[in-house]
Amino acid sequence: MTGSAAFAPSGSVSIPLREVEAELARQMQPLRGTGERPVQFARMSNLVIFCDQREQAERISTEVPSVVSIHPARVLLLLGEAGPDEAPVTAAALVRPRQNGHTVDSCSEMIVLHAAGATVATLPFAVRALLVGDLPINVWWASNQPPAFAGALLFDLAESAQQIVYDSRGWLEPTRAVAATAHWYERFAKTLPGGRWRVASDLNWRRLKFWRRLLAQTLDPTIAGDASATATELVLEHGPHAVVQAWELASWLTRRLGWKVRAGGVEPGVEIRWMFDAPHGPVVVRIKRLSEGASEVREVRVRYRVDAQVASLVFRPVDTTRLEATTEGIETAPLTISVQPQSLAELVGRQLSDRERDPVFTESIATAQVLAQSLTA
Amino acid sequence: MTSARTDASADARIIEPPTTLLPQPCQLVIFGGPGDLSWRKLLPAVYNLDVDGVLPSHFTVVAFGVPAEGESGGDPDEYIRERARSGIARFSRQPLDEAHWESFARGLFFVQGSFNDMRAYEQLKARLDSLDHQFGIPGSRVFYLAVPPSLVGQCVEHLQAAGMIRDPADTTAFTRVIVEKPIGRDLISAREVNREVGAAFAESQTYRIDHYLGKETVQNLLVLRFANSIFEPLWNAKCIDHVQITVAEEEGLAQYDPATGEIIATRAGYYEGIGALRDMVQNHMLQVLCVMAMEPPWSLAPEVVRDAKVGVLNCLRPFSAADVDRNVVRGQYIEGDMYGQRVPGYRKEVRQSFEAMGRELPRASVHSTTETFMALKLFIDNWRWAGVPFYLRTGKRLPKRVSEVAIQFKDVPQILFNTNPEMQLEPTVLSVRVQPEEGLSMRIASKLPGPKIRIYPVKMEFNYASSFGGSSPEAYERLILDVMAGDATLFMRRDQVEAAWQFVTPILDRWEQNAVRDLPEYQCGTWGPVEANRLIEPDGRFWRNL
Repeated sequence: MTGSAAFAPSGSVSIPLREVEAELARQMQPLRGTGERPVQFARMSNLVIFCDQREQAERISTEVPSVVSIHPARVLLLLGEAGPDEAPVTAAALVRPRQNGHTVDSCSEMIVLHAAGATVATLPFAVRALLVGDLPINVWWASNQPPAFAGALLFDLAESAQQIVYDSRGWLEPTRAVAATAHWYERFAKTLPGGRWRVASDLNWRRLKFWRRLLAQTLDPTIAGDASATATELVLEHGPHAVVQAWELASWLTRRLGWKVRAGGVEPGVEIRWMFDAPHGPVVVRIKRLSEGASEVREVRVRYRVDAQVASLVFRPVDTTRLEATTEGIETAPLTISVQPQSLAELVGRQLSDRERDPVFTESIATAQVLAQSLTA
Repeated sequence: MTSARTDASADARIIEPPTTLLPQPCQLVIFGGPGDLSWRKLLPAVYNLDVDGVLPSHFTVVAFGVPAEGESGGDPDEYIRERARSGIARFSRQPLDEAHWESFARGLFFVQGSFNDMRAYEQLKARLDSLDHQFGIPGSRVFYLAVPPSLVGQCVEHLQAAGMIRDPADTTAFTRVIVEKPIGRDLISAREVNREVGAAFAESQTYRIDHYLGKETVQNLLVLRFANSIFEPLWNAKCIDHVQITVAEEEGLAQYDPATGEIIATRAGYYEGIGALRDMVQNHMLQVLCVMAMEPPWSLAPEVVRDAKVGVLNCLRPFSAADVDRNVVRGQYIEGDMYGQRVPGYRKEVRQSFEAMGRELPRASVHSTTETFMALKLFIDNWRWAGVPFYLRTGKRLPKRVSEVAIQFKDVPQILFNTNPEMQLEPTVLSVRVQPEEGLSMRIASKLPGPKIRIYPVKMEFNYASSFGGSSPEAYERLILDVMAGDATLFMRRDQVEAAWQFVTPILDRWEQNAVRDLPEYQCGTWGPVEANRLIEPDGRFWRNL
């Protein structure tokens, strides 16, 4: 057995796995102070975060305080490094005071578990012993591997979870991943025996929240007239690693507009193109990759006909706090909506409390799967 | 000497007022004094009582038995003091304090002797009489039988023959006996043990101990129910959907040396062939069930409370063979992972344990079918609990050590906030934690802050340690003190023990009739076999996340 160095983020104390609870209590003790108000662990849920890269785990460990400031939770940060080097499960623990003005009235707790090689498969055993009973369980699958391909490890980690949060940004092999996700989602999110339920949530879908709002408002026939009913082309531009985000947005929009895909093709690294049949005729949908810039959808353009002329509705960010819709070819005032901060911690923190099954998301990933199948047909 | 009283019900009808809980001067005689229970629990418990200043002013502890390693060569009293000291240092709730230890050790003695040797009892009697004079004790004795059930009859018979049992009507001094669980291994043997004890001791002198009943939270169940106005009106089939009682243990059979991986202690000799039903369900779990489900007693007098508990056992719906097949699941652990360590399965652990004990593995244990996990669904057929299922589960090598009683209330109607049938609100649950952190919690639905109505379950917690500070007395402390005070409230009466066996014996019979080669398996570090889920999930319910 060769050693992969144990992972213990800054400030955490390495301890034997069996002593995690005692260590948390020990670190909590000095924070209790002598005041009359009890200092307690703030917990809405158990949050199990799985990373498979050390750098990723380090980055996420710095996000955890922000996540739990929005959604207090017992955090179990797991690093499971694949590879031939095997390392036994190690543990570290960290209690952080939650400042409320000048006083501390609660704490947050983070337990870090590290395993490498074959022992990664045993992480769910360690997790079971450390979950706080009677609280919901959220799993944040932070690995770049799509959950559909995660296999037994995710299945075991999520055995009692009510929600799994994943991020399709940065997925490798997006077409294969998108094709597999809808099927996986259907199996995962169905109501379990005993009336239990659980949901899966993609952070990319949450990132699209303001895009969807602006598109829905702008393409409403009372605002945009016949723009959607005469559309000829829909073009989405995205930065690197954001193809799935653009794909989800395209899936959502085409589904809402009632367009049916006929055929598709890929120009690797440049563009994905589909031909749709809309009630008014054929429409081309293109997802174009920009070679640099933010990993986001950067622009959406709907080309349409109005009075035998071609016009375009163009949607793009004005800055980090606003999205704007303008019309090219016709004189109209731009529409603007405010966008809330979308840091990773914000996205995750808000998502953890948001456990409602979103039927629109379900429909959209089903459409995304159909689009993926049209590319491989 | 007492006249033998075999009619428990006659004693059971005697209603005494609550005692003032004043322990009376006496000598505590621990049969099996050098043994494991005494080392881990009893001697540390008595030490803690001494530190807390609640022991009688005139008091001694006398251990009786043979050390595991054979006769102690030197001074027997020094031997037991050394053993007690190591047990207290390791297991005591309060740290070993030299000043207290000195005074405690002065009242600690050891009489070596075999339980089947009449001369040893005569020596014991002589030593106790001598200590009476030395410590000013009026002749009162508490005999704690920390011995296997098979030896109980022998011990009481010799105590009687040696003239060491006073008549219960004697007002100058008392004799009481504490009998450890398990009392028998089925209804017939339990009756036999009770008959043997009853031949020597009156029921009023007999204290059948189940340490779960001494735990603060179990006692608090009564307070919770009957000292608060909000719970009792809800405590019935109208408002409660179901109840789950869980006793989960991390430990398997053996303890291992972390350095060498060798077995340093094992319970295989006791547990193999006994199993979870006899070890946990018949006693601890059914006793906790009684406290949870009993009708309000009309007074706190011991017999009144015990009558109320027996009332629950008498209402348990008996299992037919088909009921056992349908409503009882057993399992056995196989190799798995606990706290990052690979741990062996039960059969291997049994084999290794017998090797470590230097004993030959019994033939029946080669392919042992002793259950290390069991789950069952039962019903209490009375007005209060009609139709409410009680789900019990217990097991070894489960992910964590936790014992609790959880009362799940009925769902709110599917209107207003609970309209989505696919995502129903989590039900309200009151959970009473017996261990490790004694306390209770209540899960309720709450609105998340923000403009939208979003419901999220929140947990309100009460924890004994953080609310009251310090550490709660161990169950054994409370119970030993109660015996010295003559308060039998928290002890099992003869009819209670037999009613519990009456309930579980059909399960044992069915298992024996329906012998299997292999039990359903579960990996160490998981919550039991999948069959346990099949017990509860068809009812639209599921085991709680603990």
